Amino acid sequence: MLVGAIKTLRRWVSGLVLPGIVLLMSQGFSLWTVTLFLFGILVVAALAALWGFLSWRATTYAVTGTAFRLRQGVFQKNERTIPLEHVQSVDTVQGIIQRAFGVVEVRIETAGGGVSEPDASLSALDRGAAQTLRREIEGSHTERAEETAGPTVLRRLSRRELLVAGATSGQIGVVFSLLAVGSQFLDNFLSVDFARRLVESLAPNWLMVVLILVPTGLLLAWLLAIAGTVLAYTGFTLSREGNFLYIKRGLLERRETTIPLSRIQAVRISEGVLRQPFGLASLRVESAGYGEDAGVSATLFPLLPSDEVEEFLSGAAPEFAYTPALEPLPRRSLRRYVFRATIPALLVCVAALVCLMVLGSALWLLSLLLIPPSAAYGWLRYRDAGWALEGDRLLVRHRLLGRKTAVAPRRRLQSRGVTSSPLQRRLQLATFVAEVASGSGGAALRVKDLDAGSAGTLASSLGPGVRLEGA
Amino acid sequence: MLPLLIGAGIAGSALWRFGGVPLFLGILPVLAVLILVGVVVGMAPGLRWRRWRYEIRPDEVDLQRGIFWVGRTLVPLARIQHVDTMQGPLQRRFGLSTVVFYTAAGPNQIPELSTPVAAEVRDRIAELTREQDEL
Repeated sequence: MLVGAIKTLRRWVSGLVLPGIVLLMSQGFSLWTVTLFLFGILVVAALAALWGFLSWRATTYAVTGTAFRLRQGVFQKNERTIPLEHVQSVDTVQGIIQRAFGVVEVRIETAGGGVSEPDASLSALDRGAAQTLRREIEGSHTERAEETAGPTVLRRLSRRELLVAGATSGQIGVVFSLLAVGSQFLDNFLSVDFARRLVESLAPNWLMVVLILVPTGLLLAWLLAIAGTVLAYTGFTLSREGNFLYIKRGLLERRETTIPLSRIQAVRISEGVLRQPFGLASLRVESAGYGEDAGVSATLFPLLPSDEVEEFLSGAAPEFAYTPALEPLPRRSLRRYVFRATIPALLVCVAALVCLMVLGSALWLLSLLLIPPSAAYGWLRYRDAGWALEGDRLLVRHRLLGRKTAVAPRRRLQSRGVTSSPLQRRLQLATFVAEVASGSGGAALRVKDLDAGSAGTLASSLGPGVRLEGA
Repeated sequence: MLPLLIGAGIAGSALWRFGGVPLFLGILPVLAVLILVGVVVGMAPGLRWRRWRYEIRPDEVDLQRGIFWVGRTLVPLARIQHVDTMQGPLQRRFGLSTVVFYTAAGPNQIPELSTPVAAEVRDRIAELTREQDEL
C-alpha cells in the first residue's frame, strides 16, 4: 500500500514540480510563496497516500482453476480475466522503493499483449506471495505436477566477468554521443565571451588540447559503459527448471524474468569487436509474443567464453546447441563484399577530388588512404559470413562490427526467401533470408551473396515436406 | 517522380537562361524525365504484374516476383495464423482484392487478384492451414 502511495506521489509530484518552480521563480523567494509551496507538497502527499490506500484496498487477485483474475480500480472498477494458458511469462521487478519495503512488482504478460504495458501488473507483493502466484500460474503450464527441488542454477556471472563485460561492452559509441549532448547542454551555461577567451588562449596549442580531451572523453565514456553494465547485469544468474529458464539480474532494480523454452525462436551469439580477440561472446534469444516491439531480444547471458557456448546452450536450450563448421561463401562473392565496403570511401575520394580540384592541391590523395582499410573490412565481412545446415537446425553468421551468429531450428522458421539483384545474378549469387518470430513481429536471419544454387536448395530443404537425414 | 520532374525543369531552365544553351537543349532533361515516367508508369507495372507468381501447394505457399530484383518467398502453411482479403477504394472500382496472410513474423501479400479469385485463394489457404493443424 505504501509503495502504491509513493508511486502515485512520484507521478503527481513530477507533474506539479514544474509549475511550482515557475511560481517560485516568478514570485521570488518570499516566505509566503515558500510556505505555499511546502503546504502544496504536503497536501499532494496526503492525497497520494489516501489514493494509494484506496487503490490498494480495491486491488484483489486470485488464481481460480484455469484463469487469473485481477480486480482493480477505485472509482471505475476493472476486472480482468486471463486464461492461464495464454500467460507468456510472469516477471518480477524490484525497484529501489520496492526493495526498501521488501516487496516486488509482478508483471504478467500474455501472447499478443499490449505494447510496452504489461497485461496485468501487481505493483507490491511480498516475496512469498509473488513466488506462490508464479508457481500457481506456471504450474498449470507444465501439466505434470512433478515436485522438483526448485530451479537449478546453470551459470552465474562472477564479479570479474561483470567488469570484463562492462569494459568490453562496446557501448562506448552510445555513451560518447550522450556525452556530446551533455557538452552541448553545458555550452548554454558558458557565456560566449568566456568561450571565446578560452578558445583564444587554447588556440596556439590546440593539438595538446585535442590530445588531452579526446582520451579523457573516451575514458569517461568507457567508465559510464562499465557503470551501465554493472547496473543492469550485477548478479546475473541463469537457472532452469523443466522447460523454463529464469533470469535474475540488476544492482538497484532487481529483475526476475521467465523465458519458457517453447517460446525461444532463435539464439544469437554475438562476439563484439572488443570481445572476439579475447574469445568472449554474449548470448541473446529471440522470443515470440513477448517484449514490446518487433525484433526485441532478451539477454540470455551477457558474457561467456566462445568455446563454452555450445556446452552452455546444451544445458540451457539444447535445441540451439549447435556450433558446426560453416559453409563459406563462394570466392566470387568476395569482390561484392569488398566493393560494398569501399563505396563510402570511394564517395569520399570523389568528393575530396571535386573540392580540391578548385584549390589545385594534391591533398585529396590523402583520402585514398581510406580505401585499403575499407577493403580490408569488406574482406573480413566476406570471411566471417557463412551458413550451416545440420539436421533440423539452421545457422547463419555475418559481421557488422562484431561477429554475429544466429541459430534457429527449422520448425521455428516462419518463412524463407531468396532474392537476387541483377548484379548478383550475373555472378550467380543470391541473398537468403529466413524469418523467425520475435516480439510481436519478425526478425531475419540473412546470408548475403551465397551461391544461387545453394540458396535455392537451402530454401527448399528447410521446407515442411522434406525430412532431412539425421533429423 | 514529381520532384524529379521539377528538378529537371529547374536544371533545364537554368541551363537555358544562364548557361547560354539553346532552348531545345534546355528542354532535354524534362523530356528525359517524361520518358522515364512513361516507362515507369506505362510498362513497369505490366512487367511486374507478368512476373508475379503464386502457388499454393498442400504444405506451402510459394511467392515469386520482381523484374530486376527477383525475390522468392516460401511460407509453410503450418505457420500461417490467419488470412485476410483487403480491398481499397480503387481496387473496389476495378473489382480487385489483395490476399494477406499472417505468420508470427508478419504479413505476406498476394496483391491485385480479381475479387472472386482472391476469395477462393483466401478460403483455400484457410482450409489448408486448418488441415495442417490437424496433422
